[in-house]
Amino acid sequence: MSGEPIIRLRGLAKSYYRESLEIPVLQGIDLEIPAGGYYALMGPSGSGKTTLLNLIAGIDRPTGGELEVCGHTLNGLDDDELAAWRSTYVGFIFQNYNLVPVLTAFENVELPLLLTPMSRRARREKVEEALAHVGLTEWMEHYPRQLSGGQEQRVAVARAIVGDPELLVADEPTGALDHKNAEEIMALMEGLNRDLGKTIVMVTHDPKAAHHARHQIHLEKGVLDRTIEVNR
Amino acid sequence: MKYLRLVLRSFLRSKRRTVLTILSITVSVALIAILQSILATLNAFANNPDASNRIVVRHKVSITNLLPTRYADWLRQQPEVESVMGLQWFQGVYIDRSNFFPNFASEAEFVNTVFKEEIVEYSDAQFREFLRDRNGALVGKNLADKYGWKLGDVVSLKSELFPITVRLTIRCIFRSKRPADELALHFNYKLLEEGVSYMKGRVGTFFVRVHRADDVPKLIERIDRHFHDAVEPTYSETENAFQLEFLKMMGNYSAIIQMITGAVLVAILIVTANTMAMAIRERTTEISVLRAIGFRTSQILAMLMGEGILLSVLGGAGGLAIAWLLAGAVRGYVGTFLPYLQNFHIDAGTMSLCFHATLAVGTLSTFIPAYRAARRPIVDGLRSL
Ligand SMILES: Nc1ncnc2c1ncn2[C@@H]1O[C@H](COP(=O)(O)OP(=O)(O)O)[C@@H](O)[C@H]1O
Ligand SMILES: [Mg+2]
Repeated sequence: MSGEPIIRLRGLAKSYYRESLEIPVLQGIDLEIPAGGYYALMGPSGSGKTTLLNLIAGIDRPTGGELEVCGHTLNGLDDDELAAWRSTYVGFIFQNYNLVPVLTAFENVELPLLLTPMSRRARREKVEEALAHVGLTEWMEHYPRQLSGGQEQRVAVARAIVGDPELLVADEPTGALDHKNAEEIMALMEGLNRDLGKTIVMVTHDPKAAHHARHQIHLEKGVLDRTIEVNR
Repeated sequence: MKYLRLVLRSFLRSKRRTVLTILSITVSVALIAILQSILATLNAFANNPDASNRIVVRHKVSITNLLPTRYADWLRQQPEVESVMGLQWFQGVYIDRSNFFPNFASEAEFVNTVFKEEIVEYSDAQFREFLRDRNGALVGKNLADKYGWKLGDVVSLKSELFPITVRLTIRCIFRSKRPADELALHFNYKLLEEGVSYMKGRVGTFFVRVHRADDVPKLIERIDRHFHDAVEPTYSETENAFQLEFLKMMGNYSAIIQMITGAVLVAILIVTANTMAMAIRERTTEISVLRAIGFRTSQILAMLMGEGILLSVLGGAGGLAIAWLLAGAVRGYVGTFLPYLQNFHIDAGTMSLCFHATLAVGTLSTFIPAYRAARRPIVDGLRSL
């Protein structure tokens, strides 16, 4: 199942600066993740998990090191190129779902497709397919506030996969959900990895959620601690 | 445009706030449109193309000083001159002061040539009646209709400038091109000369009509040179310049109107900027999510700008619509004591000004918050939960 590395980090570093004081968050991360992998990024709060995920997803820029994701060296891309790269290769799932409240489930899922030259009809097909995949066909015309948290997160998953990206990044996707809904989302993501071959990097500090991944990466104060394979 | 729906939905996100902002722009723009149209209407009086071949001659010292009537003889001898008429502003009051309309003691036999463009349609028979009757009056149709005057009716005007009341018989009713010109009343100058001893052989102004507008400047110069050393020297100017001076006696209305317009524009700029800043700030996370998905900074900026401009332009359109509805009321109500405003309408220049001003308000008020929001690091927006 594991192929060529889809993510390759070399000496990746990220520091924040507060009043000329350097606050190192990530220090010299070397990591390779093969295509089709499902990695859980774990570690204590403040260890830099979100920061690392944001760098991989191309929504933040490193202060050092190299970053190659989905065949592109992200360091060299300007903001617009990076935006175009994200829309092609990355699907996002957030802890707080982050749906646009004034758009229906359908319209939220359609958002990434607006950036493509796809026709209206082609977009409709894709959106319906994605919503069917997460089991929300009946809820298409509902607004986020009319949906439960679990349903909202499923809409977010549909939005993440509708453009058929190679890589899914998820930051604590079950963090705001109860046990039952968390399990459903985990099952859904497992299916995306297993059946659709999506590479997934998921930040979580919930061991139960991490158990759904195939590998667990542990981050400790900005350095990789260990990577272990999950036995199932 | 597939992003339009996104703009519209965001626009209607907080309906009450959007509606209130639009309403405040609407009221402000209506005010601006009416004030600017008043200005345009008044300025049109001082920019009357029909007056381009007319000169007004008055006393050099002031408009209240009088000139000898015989000056007309010399004026009539000038080759450029087509017709000359002595005219005195009478300021007669009909019943009471609220019934204001311009009325003049005029050299009747010249009134229809000097004011050819204003006194356009009338019956020759009626006009002859007007000339024959020493107490005859020539009135505009608008004015006659307003007070229900008919031919043969007797009308008393008590002057506020002269110690005299004239009793006039309506003899001729004329039509003009512009409604405001139909509010005038002319009566025979001889009536004033007979009733007021010091007016004998004297008059306030001469209206001089020349054949060719091109001759106006040099004739003005020649008239004033000719009477330079006379006991009563003259001051001549185009009728448009004279009108402007007359309007200015009401105060520097132009500066006042421009000041109010400026203040109101600043006020709506602040209101709109506040609304847009709020609308954008509460969407910080959403904007970051859109950008994470792959929307470019420029696309986000365009959508936010679209929203701000939509807001202000809708308000502006509403304001113009209200001003347009109110224009009739201004004509009918304000126009009765300020006859200049009989021609009041929302002119094309004002519409264009309001449109561009609201466009500018939308752009200026939205650009700074939108630009900042669109360029903010994505991860900042995602953290601010
Ligand atoms: N914009 C920022 N400015 C300064 N410090 C930051 C910023 N973002 C994150 N940090 C710091 O970086 C560290 C790692 O943050 P984060 O990656 O969110 O950790 P985790 O997701 O593992 O909880 C934390 O100490 C946090 O305070
Ligand atoms: Mg985190």
